[in-house]
Amino acid sequence: MKSIGKILSRYVLSAAGVALILLLLNFAALVVWTIQSGKTAQKDFSVSQLAAGLTEKDGGYTLSEEARTTIARQFQWAMLLDENGRVVWSENLPADVPREFTVSDVAGFSRWYLQDYPVRVWRHPGGLFVLGSPKGSMWKHAMEIPQKVMDNTLVWAPALLLLNGGAAVLLALLFALRFFRSLQPLAQGIEDMAENKAVRLSSRGLLSDLAEGINRTSARLMAQETALSRRDTARTTWIAGVSHDIRTPLSLVMGYASRLEEDPLLPPAAREQAEIIRRQSQRIKTLVSDLNLASKLTYNMQPIRQECIALAALLRESAADFLNSGLAEAYTLDVMIADNARNASIRGDEELLRRAVANLIANSLGHNPRGCTIQVRLEQAGANCFLTVCDDGAGFTPEQLANLSHSPDSAELPNHGLGLTIVRQIVKAHAGTIEFRNLPAGGCAVVIGLKAGPIEQRSLRPLRNSDL
Amino acid sequence: MKTIFDCKLLIVDDEPELRRMVQEILGQEGFTKILSASSCREARRLLDSAKPEGVILDVSLPDGDGFSLLREFRLTSPVPVLFLSARDEDENRLLGLGLGADDYITKPFLPRELTLRLKAVLNRAYFPVVLQQQAKPVFRLGETEIDLNSGTVRSQRDCFTLTAKEYALLTKLYENQDRIVTGDSLCHAAWGDNLYGYENTLMVHIRRLRAKIEPEPSAPRHLLTVRGLGYKLVGAESL
Repeated sequence: MKSIGKILSRYVLSAAGVALILLLLNFAALVVWTIQSGKTAQKDFSVSQLAAGLTEKDGGYTLSEEARTTIARQFQWAMLLDENGRVVWSENLPADVPREFTVSDVAGFSRWYLQDYPVRVWRHPGGLFVLGSPKGSMWKHAMEIPQKVMDNTLVWAPALLLLNGGAAVLLALLFALRFFRSLQPLAQGIEDMAENKAVRLSSRGLLSDLAEGINRTSARLMAQETALSRRDTARTTWIAGVSHDIRTPLSLVMGYASRLEEDPLLPPAAREQAEIIRRQSQRIKTLVSDLNLASKLTYNMQPIRQECIALAALLRESAADFLNSGLAEAYTLDVMIADNARNASIRGDEELLRRAVANLIANSLGHNPRGCTIQVRLEQAGANCFLTVCDDGAGFTPEQLANLSHSPDSAELPNHGLGLTIVRQIVKAHAGTIEFRNLPAGGCAVVIGLKAGPIEQRSLRPLRNSDL
Repeated sequence: MKTIFDCKLLIVDDEPELRRMVQEILGQEGFTKILSASSCREARRLLDSAKPEGVILDVSLPDGDGFSLLREFRLTSPVPVLFLSARDEDENRLLGLGLGADDYITKPFLPRELTLRLKAVLNRAYFPVVLQQQAKPVFRLGETEIDLNSGTVRSQRDCFTLTAKEYALLTKLYENQDRIVTGDSLCHAAWGDNLYGYENTLMVHIRRLRAKIEPEPSAPRHLLTVRGLGYKLVGAESL
């Protein structure tokens, strides 16, 4: 909308400018022309000079050669009237010009025309010198301006200019406002389109073509939006359906494998194999569940709860869960909570964050089959909490690091590394930051940054009798 | 009904092999009376005619869904129901929404999980508080005998009584024996809150507990510290 205002103010100003320039140009042209014609008039013979060229000689009048050629060239005829109004000399006098004039005739033609010939008169010793031009060659207009007005030229000329300029601006503004009114819905329509709102402009008036164009574009955008979201929903639903269908057969696999694993009548080797089957089917369960979750997070179909989560407790529980489900001897899992982070809390979905932490720990376990030391740390710096899961094992490969630094915005589920993808999606859904690094001493670290939430104000309590 | 194993159970699932597996699992556990249904219609019929005392109900059935079936059941019967669901998101719907389901388990499941949850559900329904008091554990830690019914610790030399907090902590540790119990979990059991603010208190109580149950309190063999996480109780033999 701002841009419209700018466009219009420029339009108004340029209209005013045009008006003023035109006025000035016209004025200048007038001035130039006046001076020019004045100059040319000076160059040519004036009436007085021609009159002077008519001299008395031997009882008659003779015209100088110069005067004769000038008359023939620039005028047409000339005559001399005596004090009685009778023609006493003439040069090229046309037939329709009378040879005798009264005083009122003279008064008439000296101001206007004589038989439609534009004439000029000049005093001559012998009477009145009359110079005639061809018919229709000159247009006369008598101009009378009160002297006062002429004296005030310096006042009214600029005033006229200003008035014209002002009128131009006003008129331009008026037209601009009309234009603005027809532009405004279009501009609004474009803004609405950018914000994914449906646009329907009335296609009347000056800009109907533009309005039609915008309407069509908006309809296209809306249709695309609907199609996309329908496709996303379909995809998520399909994945959910598939993961649902996998679970019953998997239940049978896991159930029977577990029974075989615990069957005392089976030889140990067979029971070991059954254990592997059971464990792998648990892995499949996790994968299927991860796939479902990843697809929902990608297409924003996973509801994110907003609870107050005590991070230290969450980390301790996650670690305890891992240790309790049996961690091989080769692995060590430590939890270190910084002193200032013991009461750190954030707002988010506890289940999802648990999942994220579990996936990170599982990732370290999975990538270091021969064992490693895994550390889970929680620190607080200002308004942010930092959750780190690091190990001293193999670390990330360069391609993995490259993959992980790609924006998780792309709605493409990667071919592998689903666990870490989910972590990134969960962090993104919590408006947090995540960083994947290799440590100089070997191993890798994943640092999640989250905005700290409300902190319960409690300090270490002294022992009380009720505690006993 | 003398024990939960006398309960008549109804399994509702449309996959026959799954029904058979669950039947075998429950049979091995000691449940002898097991009926099965493969659809809502069959389930309604059996509920009316056989009046089972426990139901294992699949959420997705060919002629309806388990939730609406449960709503129907609840109009006429408080029979305990354990949901079998194939979807993660069902968790929220099942718990806390007043559907009247007693517990749920997601597929795929470990047999042990199924039996544990089922027994818990049945116990809660049919053998509540009254029997619970008799069923408190009595166990031995090395040479020391601990009776959680009376809250007493009897070693060769001494006999102690556990304070209320010590009792709560020890019970929690015993219920999760051989597994790490986080400090938060212990604090919840004793004081109803997370670890923050209770670190010192917990340490003191654990020390006192060790003094009562460990033969050598300064070198604990049963009540072990897991650095940064919590504690765990090992070597308990139930009596």
